[in-house]
Amino acid sequence: VPARIAAIALLLACCSGCFRLQPSAGGGQVRFTPPRAVHPEAVAVPSGYRVDVVATGLTFPTGVAFDDAGRVYVTEAGYSYGEVWTTPRVLRIDGPSAHTVVATGARNGPWNGLDFHDGALFVAEGGALEGGRILRVTLDGEVGIVVDGLPSQGDHHTNGPVAGRDGWLYFGQGTVTNAGIVGADNADFGWLRRQPRLHDVPCHDVALTGERVRGPDALGAGRGAVETGAFAPYGTALPPGSVVRGAVPCNGAVLRVRPRGGAVELVASGFRNPFGLAFGPNDRLFVADNGYDDRGSRPVHGAGDLLWAVHPGAWHGWPDFSGDRALDDGDHFVPPGRAAPRPLLARHPSRPPRPAAVLGVHASANGLDFARGPDFGFAGQAFVAEFGDQAPAVGKVLGPVGFKVVRVDVTTGVVADFAVNRGSANGPASRIGGGGLERPIAARFDPSGTALYVVDFGVLGMTAAGAVPHRETGVLWRITRGVAR
Amino acid sequence: MTGRTAGALVVLASALVVASCGSARRSEPLVGAWRPSNAETAQGERVFMAHCHACHPGGETGLGPSLNDKPLPAFLVRLQIRNGLGAMPAFAPDELPDGDLQALVAYLRARRSSGRGG
Repeated sequence: VPARIAAIALLLACCSGCFRLQPSAGGGQVRFTPPRAVHPEAVAVPSGYRVDVVATGLTFPTGVAFDDAGRVYVTEAGYSYGEVWTTPRVLRIDGPSAHTVVATGARNGPWNGLDFHDGALFVAEGGALEGGRILRVTLDGEVGIVVDGLPSQGDHHTNGPVAGRDGWLYFGQGTVTNAGIVGADNADFGWLRRQPRLHDVPCHDVALTGERVRGPDALGAGRGAVETGAFAPYGTALPPGSVVRGAVPCNGAVLRVRPRGGAVELVASGFRNPFGLAFGPNDRLFVADNGYDDRGSRPVHGAGDLLWAVHPGAWHGWPDFSGDRALDDGDHFVPPGRAAPRPLLARHPSRPPRPAAVLGVHASANGLDFARGPDFGFAGQAFVAEFGDQAPAVGKVLGPVGFKVVRVDVTTGVVADFAVNRGSANGPASRIGGGGLERPIAARFDPSGTALYVVDFGVLGMTAAGAVPHRETGVLWRITRGVAR
Repeated sequence: MTGRTAGALVVLASALVVASCGSARRSEPLVGAWRPSNAETAQGERVFMAHCHACHPGGETGLGPSLNDKPLPAFLVRLQIRNGLGAMPAFAPDELPDGDLQALVAYLRARRSSGRGG
């Protein structure tokens, strides 16, 4: 009998990886001491490609764009998880250690993403304090507001933007919460104490199941336990059948506005954090969407990040689906030791479409672009920057997820690594050494289509107390095919 | 289960543990491009991407354990996929038909035996 038990136990251990017994081993769970080493040879790319360093010493960079003359611009966010505030900036990169400050912002970051259109730069101002905005920045530094008042003061912010050939400016608006219910995890993020009445706003009217979560009052307001439901402030739970009115702008949406301003229009809904936007083959809009976390009042386990071909007008599943699979479908999204997430919506607008690809759980799939001509290779494929996991805050992982650039054949959903750190295991350079990638957050081809620029946010450590970002560790990389420039 | 069978399982499991010490990395930048050699592994690759890649990115460690360095017999792989184990969910025939499962197992075997990186 002991031999039998030992055999079964050992087999189960081999097969299951002992998820519940093993500690989290996220890529950011490492102690980092500046300065950051930067060595292009530590980054592996397919045969025939090479990696160069364009700029170092950036603080929380998030996006890259090119003007008509081919000059390179980068956004610095001005805010990082960990509640660290700096000055949001747009920089023109003049050399490896030389740049010109084009524009600066106020304490309302993060400035996410960047695009150049019709002679000006466009920035998504995350809006952690004052709400999200889309900004128009002229090359001589004049900053104008295209749209403001976006619901952006929660977990996720205003992202993008990207100009379409139809004359509209498309951008993503993330959700306030992980999975629809405000909870103690939002107090950990920092915003719930600033905005105790904040909650997600649906794009369309929604009828609620009445699902609610009860727990100790994270705000310590002397209320004892509080009950919170979907699309409601912390400590408020609406009864079953309640209808929450939709509004635009809303959370978890792809929206659009004219570059000179005007009314915001809804493009599609049901995303969680549509961070990266890019137009692919046949001018189809694609979105990289950060999937659910295993945290907070409604944890979801095992939900991969999603690459969507956006279906205009359609609902894409948040907060009750991951891709086209319902969160209460079997045991697919059950956190270990917990119950399956129960639906929040009494009626779903439709069955969500199937995503173009499923990426790693907690990979934080962010900025992306598509290879265009034959010069770079892989024409028509998406190149997605994976920021990397923020375990254990987002949930446990057995090893680092992300911290690389992947390419995706959007016709088949097949994902392949394109730029990774060398070593016996995957992970950021701060964990595995070598001086390679830390946290890729944007990938964009230059106007010629021959060089892929990768924005690397820099070192973001994760501790029991939260995120620990390190200033001046951001890098802009360039990947080219063939002979060095 | 006889004592001899249990002993064999212990040996098998121990061998798996030892075999798991190799690198699970199969990244194209590290080991070169991998292409499906036949229609079955091509189908298996698509199935893997739809159902497995999220937790085992590229067959490496992620949310779940690595697969590329686990020489499990095909019957155990099928058993685990159909029934789930630990934190891994079960995949029923209505979402993963037998043909897809067979192709997936062929794909996993092909990737396991392809070049190792690091």
